[in-house]
Formats: sequence, C-alpha cells, structure tokens
Amino acid sequence: MTFINLVSLFLLFYLKRSFGTELEDKLKKYLNYGMILAGVLAVITNTGIPPVYLYQFFSFLLVGVIIYLIVNTPAFEEHKNLAITPLPIIAVSLFRFLVKLYDEELYESIDTYIDAAGVFAFIWAVTMWVNHRKEIKEKKLEKLIAKEKERQFHIAQEKKNELERLVQERTSEITKQKEELQEALDSLRATQEQLIQQEKLASLGQLTAGIAHEIKNPLNFINNFSELSQDFLDEIDEELQKIPHSSEVENIMDLLGDVKSNLGKIRHHGSRADGIVKSMLMHSRGGTGSKDPTDLNALVKEYSNLAFHGMRANPNPINVDIQLELEEPLDKVELNSEDFSRVILNLVKNAFDAMREKIAAENGDYKAKVTIRTKDCGENVLIEVEDNGPGVPDEIKDKLLMPFFTTKKGTEGTGLGLSITHDIIKSHEGTLTIDSKVGEFTRFSIMIPKKKS
Amino acid sequence: MKILIVDDEQDVEIMFLQKFRREIKSKLLEVEFAFSGQQALDLLSQSDSMDVVYVFSDINMPGMSGLELLENIKSKFPQIQVSMISAYGDRENYNKAIKSGAKGFFTKPVDFDSLKNEIAELLTNK
Repeated sequence: MTFINLVSLFLLFYLKRSFGTELEDKLKKYLNYGMILAGVLAVITNTGIPPVYLYQFFSFLLVGVIIYLIVNTPAFEEHKNLAITPLPIIAVSLFRFLVKLYDEELYESIDTYIDAAGVFAFIWAVTMWVNHRKEIKEKKLEKLIAKEKERQFHIAQEKKNELERLVQERTSEITKQKEELQEALDSLRATQEQLIQQEKLASLGQLTAGIAHEIKNPLNFINNFSELSQDFLDEIDEELQKIPHSSEVENIMDLLGDVKSNLGKIRHHGSRADGIVKSMLMHSRGGTGSKDPTDLNALVKEYSNLAFHGMRANPNPINVDIQLELEEPLDKVELNSEDFSRVILNLVKNAFDAMREKIAAENGDYKAKVTIRTKDCGENVLIEVEDNGPGVPDEIKDKLLMPFFTTKKGTEGTGLGLSITHDIIKSHEGTLTIDSKVGEFTRFSIMIPKKKS
Repeated sequence: MKILIVDDEQDVEIMFLQKFRREIKSKLLEVEFAFSGQQALDLLSQSDSMDVVYVFSDINMPGMSGLELLENIKSKFPQIQVSMISAYGDRENYNKAIKSGAKGFFTKPVDFDSLKNEIAELLTNK
C-alpha cells in the first residue's frame, strides 16, 4: 500500500518542481503539507500499526484529493493529463484493497492476476507520464517561442514607433522648410512683379516723354494758327464794318462769328492738351533737381496760400477754412523746393476740388475745411493734408496714384496730379499714405527724411 | 530790316508771315526763312542777304543744330544778333546759348508778344 503514497508523493513533488518559484505561496504550502502527509502515511502503513485499513483508506483519500485538485485547480490546467496517469495503478490498488478487505480467500486466489494488472498499470502510468513530460516540454517550447516572438514583436513595435517619430519629425521639418520656401517664393514673385511693373512704368515714362515732345510741336502750331486766325477774324470784322450793311453782310458776319467761336474752342482744347503734355514732361523728368535744406513750414504756408488764391481766382471758387497746424520750430528739411511746392499745391488743390463736389452735393451746413500739419518725427518729418470732403472709397484708393486716373468730371483733371506728387515724394525717399472715410475725411500723409541718406 | 527765321518745321514760315503781316506789309520788316542750319549759312553768305540783322533759330534740327549754327554765325558774321527758340526750356541749353553769344532765349510755344517787342526794340534802335 506504500505505493499509493509514493504516487501521491511523486505527484506532489512533480507539481512543485515543475512550477519552481512561479507557484503561489498558498498552493506551495498545500503541496508541502500533502507531501508530509503522504510521507507519514507511507511510514505508518509500512510499519503495520493498526488500524492499517484506516491508514490505507486515508492513502486512497489523499491520492483522490490530489487528483481532484489537479483536475479542478486552474493553476494546474496544463497538468490535467497527469491526473489520469496514476488512475490504473490506483484502480488496481483500490481493487486489491477492497478484495483483501472483504474476502481474504478470493484475494489469495487472484493475487497473481492483480499483480499482473499492477505491472500493466505501472507500465501504462510510466508511458502516460513520459507522454505527459513530452507534451509539457513541447508546450514549454511553444510558450518560449511565443514569448520570443512577442519580445521580437515588441522590439519591432518600438523600432516602428521610433521610425514613425523620426519620420514625423522629418516631415514637419520638411513641411516647415516648404512653407519657408513658399514664402520666399511668394515674396520673390511679388518683387518680380513689382520689378516688371516698374520696368514697364520706366519705359512707359520714356515713351510718354517722347510722345509729349513729339506732340508739343504740332500742338504749338494748332494753338498759334488758331490764335492767328482769331486775330484775322477781328481784322475782317473791322473791314466788314466799313461795308454798307446788307443781309449778305449780316449773314457773313454771323458765320464769321461762329468760325471765331470755333477757333476759340480749338484754342481752348489745344491749351488743355498743352497742359497735359507739360504735366507728362514734368512727370518723366523725375526728381533730378538738387535738394537743399529748406524751411518746410514756410514752404507749406506759401504754397497753401497760393493754392487758395489760385482757387479763388479761378471759376467756381469755394469758401474754405484753411487751418495750419505747423510744429515750431522744425528742423530744416533737405528737399527740392521747386518740386516739393508742387506736392503741397497738388494736394491742397485736390482737397479743394473734392470739397467742391461735396458742397455741390450737400447744400447745407457743410463747412469745407483743410488742415495742414507738419510734425517732427526725429529722423523724419510728417506732413499731413486733411480735408473733410467726400472721402475716397476703398475700391479706388489703390488707383489714386496711377497716371491718368481721375475722378474729376469732363475736362477738369489730367489724372497726373497725384501721380506726379507721388513721384516727387519718392524722389525724396519718402512715402505717401492715404487714409479716408467716405463722407467724412481724406488725409494724405507724407513722411520724408530730413536728410538724404 | 531783315530777319531770318531758321526752323525745320516748314509751317513756321506761314505762321511768321501771318504773325508779322502788318509789319511786312508796311515794309518795316523783311522775313527770310531757312529750314536747316546749312541753308541758313548759305543764305547769309549770299551778298543780297548781308543785310540780315537778326536770326531766330530753333535748337533741335536735323543736321546742324541751332547751337552749332549760333557758333558759326558768331564767328563768320559777328554783327548779326541771334536768339534761340527751343521746345526744351532746360537750363543746360539756355546756358550754352547765352555763353555762345545768343541775345535771347525763347521757349516754345513762342510768346509772339515778347518776340514782337524784341523786334520792335530792334526797329526803334535802328
């Protein structure tokens, strides 16, 4: 009967060993108690101390409990097969035990068979155990392979993440570079367009100057001959007065009157064209004059005054309040006073023309007012010409400085005034900005350096 | 009194003739025309034109320019007065002309009143 306890011992020992340190403490404790119990039972049954049957019964109970535990404990899942290994041995032993217990004679007669069955059961158990070992080993190998695979997978995953991070980094770098390049390209394009525009304007300027000169001579003839013809008509008129009056003479005088007024028209439009040609020449001449330190406040006073009196002397004078807000004292500014006086004249005249429109449109309490300011800004001087006229709509603000752009009706403007003004300011290394609110005000701000760079 | 007008624009002749119609009619003034610098010099070299006292010349002309003509006249006929007429009222031309001995400098379009005054002055000084 010791054999059953040896089986128990073996099972417990095997379980304990196969888990090594992985086994939880509680189970380990049980296994140890089980081994002690099996050992004690083995010794006791061997010594033959009565009641032997009881101890033998406990031995069966122990092995039964062990098998039950193997089958039902989740931790021993993979060792389930182990449970069936000793079953034939236990069955044979149990059979022998029961037969011996109830019928000693029967036992004597079949003892040999039972022994033989025991041998077979033992062989079977050994085979099963070997199988089980093999299976466990395979499983362990599989587990190891799986573990290795998982480890490699983890490494691969980490490498992949690292690569992805690098790619992400590089991508953002490239994107940044691309954006920078795009920006550079955009600004290059803008510069190129500007250059082309300037080139066009420059050649346009030369062309304009050429055209202006070529037109000037024939225009002079037109003007001179029409003027001469007018003079002759006066003489003809004098002569006609000496002839006795008749309906024919009246008729001729009428017709000649018409001719004379036509010549007047030719003369008028001829001088208009002459004005345009002169402006064009002024335009293309550019700021070539020398720049000298100038009292800007005095210049502003003189030319705003001149503009005012010029306006009052011309047709359609308007009442304007001119306010000068000049910073005193103001350092002398290096400028070409001849050119720069045109800037003041043009801007003030423009203000008058704009406000004239508003006066015509708004016959009420509107009081036209022009404010001219100068301000010391350290290296630069600020000059502002502000009117409370109709203002400049945004859509034409950009076009204001373009040659030949005009909002003035009919024959009033050449569209060159502001363009020339802008050119002169540019030749003084200055800037011209326009602020306006429709219906409220227009402000031209000029910023020029006090000294040439 | 005889004056010479030099301009490559042929219509200048008609214009001047009309402008000074009265003076020409009353024989106060005789006007000759030349359409190039060379033609002007040729004309002045002819004996019957020696009585020309005043030359008005355009500056911008093909061939000999007005300023060259001015120098030529001043060296060959120093007694003749010369005034320049130019479409370009620039200082450079003005300075050159005055330096070369021009009496006056007119810019186009010609102010005929001042031209008439200039000639009237000559007539009274005569």
